[in-house]
Amino acid sequence: MAADGGSSSLQLPCVFSPKSRQFLALCAQDGRLRIWNTDSKTLHQEYVPSAHLSATCTCIAWGPCRTVKEGPQRKKRKSEAVQVEEKADLLAMGTAAGTVLIYSTAKGALHCTLDGAHSGGVNCVQWHPEESLLYSGSDDTNIVEWDLQTGKTRSKWKADRAAVTSLCVSPDGKLLLSAGHIIKMWDLDTKEVYRKFTGHSTAVTTLRFATTRPPDSNGLYFLSGAAHDRLLSVWQVREDGKDKNSVVSFTLTDEPQHIDLVTSNSKEEAVRLAVVCKDGQLHLFEHFLNGPCKKPLSPSCTVQMSDTKESPMPIPLLAAVLGADTRTVMLAYGSHLQPVMEKVVSLLKETEIHDVKTPIVNAKSKVLVPGLPGHQAPLKGTSQGSEKRKKDTDTKEMSIAERLGEIDLSTISEKGASKGTASLQTDNFAVLLVQGLESNDASILNKVFQTRKDMVIKKTVARLPLSAVLPLVEEVTYTFVLSYRASLMVRWLKAVLMHHTSYLASLPDLVTQLGVLYHVIESRVKMFHKLTKLHGKLYLLMTQVSANICSAECEASFKSVFEDYSLTSQELSLSHKERMSLSSPHFCSYTPGSCEKSLHVVSKHLMTALRAPGDRFCKTELDFVLFSV
Amino acid sequence: MASFKPTKIQVYPKLGEKVTQDTLYWKNYKAPVQIKEFGAVTSIDFSPVTPHNFAVTAFTRIHIYGPFSQEPVKSFTRFKDTAYCGRFRSDGQLLVAGCEDSVVRLFDVSGKVALRLFKGHTKAVHLTDFTSDRYQILTGSDDYTCRLWDIPNATELTTYREHTDYIRCGVTSKLNRDLFITGSYDHTVKLFDARVEKSVITMDHGQPVESVLLYPSEGLLVSAGGRHVKVWDLLKGGQPLVSLKNHHKTVTSLALSSNGQRLLSASLDRHVKVYSTTNYKVVHNFDYAASILSLALAPDDESIVVGMTNSILSIKHRKNQEDSKEIAGQQRRRPSYRVFVKGKNYVPKQDDYLVSKPVKEHLAKYDKQLRRFNVSKALDTALETWIRFRKPEITMAVIKELDRRGTLKNALAGRDERGLSQLLNFLIGNFVDARFTPVLVTAAEMILDIYQSIIGQSPLVDRQLLRLQDLVEKELDYQKELLEVLGMLDTMFASSLPRKEVPSPTVDHFPTCSLNTDS
Repeated sequence: MAADGGSSSLQLPCVFSPKSRQFLALCAQDGRLRIWNTDSKTLHQEYVPSAHLSATCTCIAWGPCRTVKEGPQRKKRKSEAVQVEEKADLLAMGTAAGTVLIYSTAKGALHCTLDGAHSGGVNCVQWHPEESLLYSGSDDTNIVEWDLQTGKTRSKWKADRAAVTSLCVSPDGKLLLSAGHIIKMWDLDTKEVYRKFTGHSTAVTTLRFATTRPPDSNGLYFLSGAAHDRLLSVWQVREDGKDKNSVVSFTLTDEPQHIDLVTSNSKEEAVRLAVVCKDGQLHLFEHFLNGPCKKPLSPSCTVQMSDTKESPMPIPLLAAVLGADTRTVMLAYGSHLQPVMEKVVSLLKETEIHDVKTPIVNAKSKVLVPGLPGHQAPLKGTSQGSEKRKKDTDTKEMSIAERLGEIDLSTISEKGASKGTASLQTDNFAVLLVQGLESNDASILNKVFQTRKDMVIKKTVARLPLSAVLPLVEEVTYTFVLSYRASLMVRWLKAVLMHHTSYLASLPDLVTQLGVLYHVIESRVKMFHKLTKLHGKLYLLMTQVSANICSAECEASFKSVFEDYSLTSQELSLSHKERMSLSSPHFCSYTPGSCEKSLHVVSKHLMTALRAPGDRFCKTELDFVLFSV
Repeated sequence: MASFKPTKIQVYPKLGEKVTQDTLYWKNYKAPVQIKEFGAVTSIDFSPVTPHNFAVTAFTRIHIYGPFSQEPVKSFTRFKDTAYCGRFRSDGQLLVAGCEDSVVRLFDVSGKVALRLFKGHTKAVHLTDFTSDRYQILTGSDDYTCRLWDIPNATELTTYREHTDYIRCGVTSKLNRDLFITGSYDHTVKLFDARVEKSVITMDHGQPVESVLLYPSEGLLVSAGGRHVKVWDLLKGGQPLVSLKNHHKTVTSLALSSNGQRLLSASLDRHVKVYSTTNYKVVHNFDYAASILSLALAPDDESIVVGMTNSILSIKHRKNQEDSKEIAGQQRRRPSYRVFVKGKNYVPKQDDYLVSKPVKEHLAKYDKQLRRFNVSKALDTALETWIRFRKPEITMAVIKELDRRGTLKNALAGRDERGLSQLLNFLIGNFVDARFTPVLVTAAEMILDIYQSIIGQSPLVDRQLLRLQDLVEKELDYQKELLEVLGMLDTMFASSLPRKEVPSPTVDHFPTCSLNTDS
């Protein structure tokens, strides 16, 4: 039921790899983990967990970057030990079944599975920044510390009365924040509660340390965001323990979905924060954390993506990370199945000047097919490509042939998708029309009736159930009376009459049903004759005007040739007769078009001649000519 | 002397929706006040006592709003999970609410902490209500049971396990303390009597039931589920009376306007429909921005409150008639009453000679000009901007009158560029209006006749003429299509007519025909 729509909002995990931001890990609705390369904007790897449908992935965390030689898994992959470059490698995925999967991007395969400690679904996973430890919080209210060297649990403790929804390890690796109903700060050496912070009434979804200073210096700050909350709260860990309330809060437009921040090391350095909200907007903040601030802070910049169509539709942002220098932001937006990644450079610079919303319009947005009901179409190409790559995982680069193949596939699939939507459209229209007629919904009816494509109209009418035909006729009659949209409605009326002739004819009270419509049309058509005449007149005059312009050059020559006015007029009438005789076959034919044309020719000829002398007699002559026509 | 007859302004039938008493009544609301709640607004309930505060259940909170404030006057936040169905007791003192965590909480409206907790259900409780004796509570839950609880000692009295699916709605009788009705996702609505163990009446709605409503007389019951709203006669043992299908998505909420004459239904298709309860026809329709989950009307229809899925609460207050009158009174002071009635109630005696005051004739500006035969000026005044845009029928009437007098040509002639373009503007604006076309065509022809010599001299006029031409062309195409449609209709009428009228004429006509041939 729609009534509990608020509580069961599933957020799909979406995380950039640390430091170089080379990869974007995404777990889509279909349960597959996809890793996108942000440089080449291509699918790097795809991994389907064996139980991806029953135990969906709830959270993802990238392990700290490491030079591969000191990794604990080094012995298994001796062949790759040559690489010294720091790379994001391991990825921890928590699942709804209570297991934690460790996936290695270097291997392109599952590294190991950690299970047996949680009885409920895992809500959050966090890596220890230095040691090879992993923390996971679960619905069963416990926090488990995993040792990755051995793959066993190192310790496990009950953290809260409610489910543990969020975790965060401090940058120095000595403290751990956990959140159930209460935010608790744990000393990781002793596993004892160091501080408690209360204030959120709903489940805390985000926890982040904002500064890297030690806890007893009054300089340690962290921030938290909760479900259904349009605020990010900043908490100060104070020496005297008087840290009951949050010190600063940032206002958002919706619940936070993805957070990235650059921590500050000293008081003089501002914390930079990029928050992507559930409504798909990105908010950027910059704030010096040096004590409480009563007013909630509003963002220094808000970004909403939109496509480049005439009426832009918003494209939801999935994630955003701040670059190393102050001016770049890496964005991921679009659908979870095929996100678009982009590095935006001048974003912050602009906001420094304007402090206004900067809608970014992107040329690539046409790639997206948002709201496509079946996601097979764009998926096919990518999944095939990834299978190919899985076979030779050790070669990082794709060959040209493979790339070309993938491009081909993707274009085909796009075409297929567009075709699919087109055929869907008509079907939808019939359904929409029936719905609109049923509930008399003006907006739906407007949308349907605004189509200009004859094919769509025909198909829609053909698919219309019989019970909806009469309401449609009534609706059409109504709009005819109103007459402002009538020209579009004629097509609908025609289509209805054509497709449902026998049904309508079989109605016993057909005359009463369609009588009103008949009268409305009849009264409108009454003026057809007069209007056609008027149109002829107008047409003639307007062609004169246009002819006039081009004849301006001829003027002089006419003047010299026709010196005697009466002669001129004689000449003209002659020429007129000639023309008449020439074009008489045209006049005989009944098609008005050709008639007008020949008339046009005559009048053009006459008028060019007439304009030159400007004689009154000529004019009356012309009048005569015109009326005789 | 024959007096001047003012130009008759033809009254055209008004286009568009018919204005009924109902549309006037339901349109008489102010612009809605919109309040953002924390989650989807699932339930709204008005307090039965003045000042008629209302409780709004949204996500984990229940806010109580006053009749005019936009800030909650009170809020209950002690819910562990999503709250449902906050309802007032008939004295407005207590409030009961269900919750996703299966505990039912009873609050004092002035307090903050729950007075009583009713534990016993195993799943979320979506239905709570007080019985009419005020001492018991009815609850219905997703564990397929509905229960009666005693308030003073917070104990369970009875459990009914008759439904086979979630119980999502219900209502208690306001007249009898033992009767209550529940609606369930197993498509049934059941009437229970607390004095017996089983349900008394079962009605099959056909779709999962989302909302039920009792008429104040409690003889009729309304149930909503799926796209249908059904009315049942309880006194006849639950016979279906009417089935209404005017929504294209699930109907989620029902309400009665305070005098019981109108029934309102709200649906996920973003509409609220108002039905007349005498003939069950839709008499009015409200549109909202998002799918509607809950709807409530204040007593005397003072306000309409609607809760939507996008967590917005929309409150429409009724316009106060006295307010608008007062403002009007302030603007214009009338002469005092005495001045007004002076001499008015003097009754003439029988032998008094009455001298009647000549009635002063008020003429419109254009009529004054017409009387003086200033035809050009008359047309000018009729073409003044305000009249031209607001009351084109006046301009039309003047043109018609001029045409009747045969002086339209004179009136149209002798205009400079500005005057001509103004005239053409009017033509372009009203040409396609079927009511005006006949008159305007003659006017347009005259204009062309008069001004054809100057065409091509002013780019402005030329442009307007081109537009006019364009317009006429489009209209012609359109009318051509219409003619085709007329042809189609003719064929259809022709094919359907004989079947109706053939039987009698065949009998009558044949003899006459034969007679004719004989003679």
